Formats: sequence, C-alpha cells, structure tokens
Amino acid sequence: MEVMEILENLRDNYFYFIAMVLFIVGFHTMLTHSNLIKKVIAMNIMDTSVFLLFVSIGYVHGAKPPIMDTVQPEGVYINPLPSALIITGIIVAISITAFALSLVAKIYQYYGTIDADEIAEIRGSEE
Amino acid sequence: MYALEHVLNHLPAILVISLFVFAFIMPLLFIWKRDWCVPVATLSMGLSLAMSLALVIQVNQVGTFVYHMGGWEPPYGIEFRVDYLSAYMLLVLHGIGLLILVYSIGDLKKELADRVIGWYYTLYLLLMGAMSGMALTNDLFNLFVFMEICAIAACAIISIKEDRECLEASFKYLILSAMGTGCYLLSVAMLYMITGYMHMEKVAVALETGAAEYPYNVLVAMSLMVVSFGVKSALFPLHVWLPDAHASAPSPSSAVLSGLVIKIYAVAMVHLIFRAFPRELFEMIPMLEIILWLSTLGIIFGSIFAMVQENFKKMLAYSSIAQIGYVFLGIGLFTPTALVGGLLHILNHAVMKSMLFMVAGIIIYSSGIKRLQHFDGIASRLTWTMVAFTIGGASMVGIPITGGFISKLYLAQGALEVERPFFLLVILVSSLLNAFYYFPISINAFLAEQKREDITFKPVLKSMLVPVLILLALIIFLGLNPQPVTNMLEQAAEMLFE
Repeated sequence: MEVMEILENLRDNYFYFIAMVLFIVGFHTMLTHSNLIKKVIAMNIMDTSVFLLFVSIGYVHGAKPPIMDTVQPEGVYINPLPSALIITGIIVAISITAFALSLVAKIYQYYGTIDADEIAEIRGSEE
Repeated sequence: MYALEHVLNHLPAILVISLFVFAFIMPLLFIWKRDWCVPVATLSMGLSLAMSLALVIQVNQVGTFVYHMGGWEPPYGIEFRVDYLSAYMLLVLHGIGLLILVYSIGDLKKELADRVIGWYYTLYLLLMGAMSGMALTNDLFNLFVFMEICAIAACAIISIKEDRECLEASFKYLILSAMGTGCYLLSVAMLYMITGYMHMEKVAVALETGAAEYPYNVLVAMSLMVVSFGVKSALFPLHVWLPDAHASAPSPSSAVLSGLVIKIYAVAMVHLIFRAFPRELFEMIPMLEIILWLSTLGIIFGSIFAMVQENFKKMLAYSSIAQIGYVFLGIGLFTPTALVGGLLHILNHAVMKSMLFMVAGIIIYSSGIKRLQHFDGIASRLTWTMVAFTIGGASMVGIPITGGFISKLYLAQGALEVERPFFLLVILVSSLLNAFYYFPISINAFLAEQKREDITFKPVLKSMLVPVLILLALIIFLGLNPQPVTNMLEQAAEMLFE
C-alpha cells in the first residue's frame, strides 16, 4: 500500500484510529502502573475507547439523529443500535468502577498504601 | 394446566430472572427475617435445578429450541438458544451450585462476619443467574452483559471475606477481568463493523462473505476473543490472577469459582466458535491451534506449579489451571470425540474440584490446618473427609472407576483420531504429575503418625459433610456409568459439528 493511501485511510477513519490509540494507552497503563487508582482510571480509558469505537461505527456522515421527524420523514438516520448498546455498556463500566474504587479504599485501610509493589512487599514479608 | 404451559414456554427466561429476583430479595429478608435467608436461597436454587431438569427433558424431546425475549424476533430482539450443551451446562451449574450452597450454610458461619451473610447469598444467586444466562444466550452483546455481572459477582464473593489477602486477590481479579471484558467488547465491535448483527448465527452467515473482504478485522476480533476468554477461564499464560483469588476466598466461593465459573467461559467460547464463526475461517486463522498449544502448556505447567505449593488451597488452585487445560484441549483438537471429552471434563472437574475445596474447607473448619506439612495422620480424626480427598485425587489422576478416567479416555481417543499422538503423551505425563502431588498427601494423612498434639479437632457439621459425600458418590457413579452423560454430550457434539 502506498503511504498516501494509508494516510488518506487514516484521515477518513480518524475516529477508529483515536479509539485504538486510547485503547492501547488504557491497556498499557492498566497492566504496567503500580498505583491502584491509576489502574482504575486506565480501565475507564480503555472502556471509553471501546465505547467511542462502537458509537462511531453507527455514525453515518451527514445523517439525522434517529428521532421520528413527522414533518420530513424521509432522509437517512444514523444507526441507533450501537448508541443503545453503549448506554448499557456505560452503566456496566460505572458499576465496575464503583466496585473497584471501594476495593481500593478497603485495601488502603488494611495495607496503608495503594501501590501494588508496596503491597506485594508487605505480603512477601508476612509469609 | 394453561398456566403450567405458559411457564414451560417461558422457561429459559424464568430460570434466569427468578435467580436475579431471589438475589435481590435476600438483603431485604436479611433485615426483616434473618432466619429465612438460607431456606429461601436453597429454595431458589432448588427451583432452578428443577427448571434446568425440565429444560433437559424438553431438549431431549424436541431438540434445539429458541426463545425470543419479549417476542421480538432477531435481529431486533435477544435470543436464548437451548441446545444440548446449554441444557447440560445448566444442569451442572444448578446441581453442583445447590450442593455448594448447602455446604456453605455451615462454613460461612465461621468464615464471614454475621452482618454480611445475607449479602453473600445475593452475590451467590447473582453469580448463578449470570452463569445461566451465559449458557443460554445467543446474542453477542447480551453475553457481554452477563459476563460483566458474572465478573462483579465473582470478585465480590472473594472480597466479602474482607481480610488483607482476599482484598488484594479480588482487586487483581477484577482488573484482569475488566481487561478481558474490554477485549471482548472490542472484538464484538469489530465483528459488528463487518456484519451489522449481534445474533451469533447471523454473524456467522455474514462472515462467510465479509471475512474475505475485511480479513484484518476478523483476525483482530478472533485474537481478542482468545485473549478475553483466556483471561476469564485462566488459560495458561493468562492465569496469574487465579491462584491468589481461588486460594484466599472463603471455601464455598473457591468451590464455585474453581468448579463452575472458569468452566462457563469455556462453554461460552465453544458456543462462539461453533455458532458465530463459519467453519472455513478456522482453516485460514490458526485460532484453534493456538488454543491447543496454550492448553498443553497449561496442563504441564499447572501441574508443576501445583507440586511445589505448601498451602493446600493454593495447590488446588494451581491444579485447576491444569484441569481447565483439558477442557481447552478438547476444544482445540476440534473433533467430536475430543470435544465430548472436554465437555465431560467440565462436569468431572466441577464435581472433583468443588468437592476438594469443600474438603479443604472442612479441614480448616475443624482443625485450622492450611499447610500440607501438617496433614500427617489427620485421617484418624477426619476419616470420611480424607476418603473423599483420596477418591477426588484419584479422579484427578484418572484412575479407572472414577469420573476423571472417562474424560481422559475420550480426550486420548480424540487425539488419536486426528493422528496427533503427542497430545496422548501430554495427557499421560500430566496424569503422572498429578499422581505425584495428590497421593503423598493421602498417604501421609492415613499412614503417618500425628506429630502435633496442639491441634484440636472440632466436630464437623452434617450439613457440610453430606454434600461432600454426595459428590463422592457422583464421582464413582460417573466412573462406572457414564453413558447417560456421554450420550447427551455425543448428541451435543454432533449437533455442533454438523
């Protein structure tokens, strides 16, 4: 593939590209950072990137929002299904985040730190 | 009569919903009438066991049937599809789930604080409902939702014990699970991009032409799916969360997590492989080959890690990594016989491992012993418990007349059918490794002298011992008389492969 072609593809589908970059940022931070709060934040970035990708799949360039227009019923609507699904996805992500944060709070109470490496050290010295 | 017919028509939905409804009644009951919690939870599990039996009978009569949520036909509505595999899985889930629930009544009084016992049953029933949904659903996004409910409930029944170890293990599990579901959702997005459907069979039809047009999308989607289900069901290099999580959880939670939760993801994966992807795709993309090799590594390394553990529950947890490898070996070999072996191992391992975790729970409950080096001579005090452990260990190794032997036999036959005797060798070597770490414990427990005088043994409650003995009988029954199960699974495999 020509370089120009790749660049053009990127320009036309930049929302996919941004979603992928966000996904990798989230994925990498979640697995490599030792701060538990940062892990939770990264989890949210990762989830949000998938939501962005999903919603942008349903987008049709120049189309109307999917609301019945009685005056002008003709015309193209965007695909409402991804948006509807992602609302569910957002709720799920919120509940996971809430649960994760409450766990972090409890972990701080018991270990006095929210750094995964320090926790591993404490557990290692206990055994 | 008319009402009964209505109930039968909506059985798949009622099964899932009733568990969720009972789950949310639990905390209310706990405030209002504390003593009712346990009987109502047992009633709920008993009802769902009856319903899964009814579904098994229905499937045997009419074959695969579908249920449309709210009467909406796909692609608009969500479809539940009841085939032999999902009916079988429901029966396994609720049968063993009920026994674990009965066991938990005695065990939880010791392991949990009084104020959270009602909440424990909420989480337990939520977990069961989510797993039933995963076995039934035929919709990619619906599967995602059930996976997330299952992940939250599974993490919460670990962290509910609230000690230092549990909290850390549960957080690790939660983060890796969230990564798994994130990957799954991304892969669904990739498939939706090409096909425009969420319904599994419609996706497969659309992929037949779409895969050639967008090969990279399909490749990314499939690899993300392997990663996501690999993390969830602890396929070898993605298993890091499992030992801590399963070893530190309260014993009934360990039993349900090791026995059922990691299996349900394997079943969901089987459904995805056979329903959502056209068969030709697997010739282009070596997804099954990758699963096959990862499971082989898991079988060998899981056993080796288990050998060096000193903590009893940690050893059982590592052994789960090896055993889930057998299930994936059955999937990866991709022949009906091996698939029957893998699916049969889901039942066998669920029976053995939940029994062994209950045994661990009973030993901790009675004497507080957690480390293997203190096991010397405890069989003189906990005879039935250690008999159960020995039979469970023998079944793990695959000694004839136990259930584990039958599933390994099917797997070995499957490996020979596709002419890859190497995997037969893998099964043999791993059985040998299993024997190395299960039998010395039994021998020490029965024959060695009890060295420590300072350990006192509390009497074991009947409600804890009875489920163990029922599972013990089941192991022997499955070893002597596997036909009813294998017949059903052979039909399931035939249907999936056709």
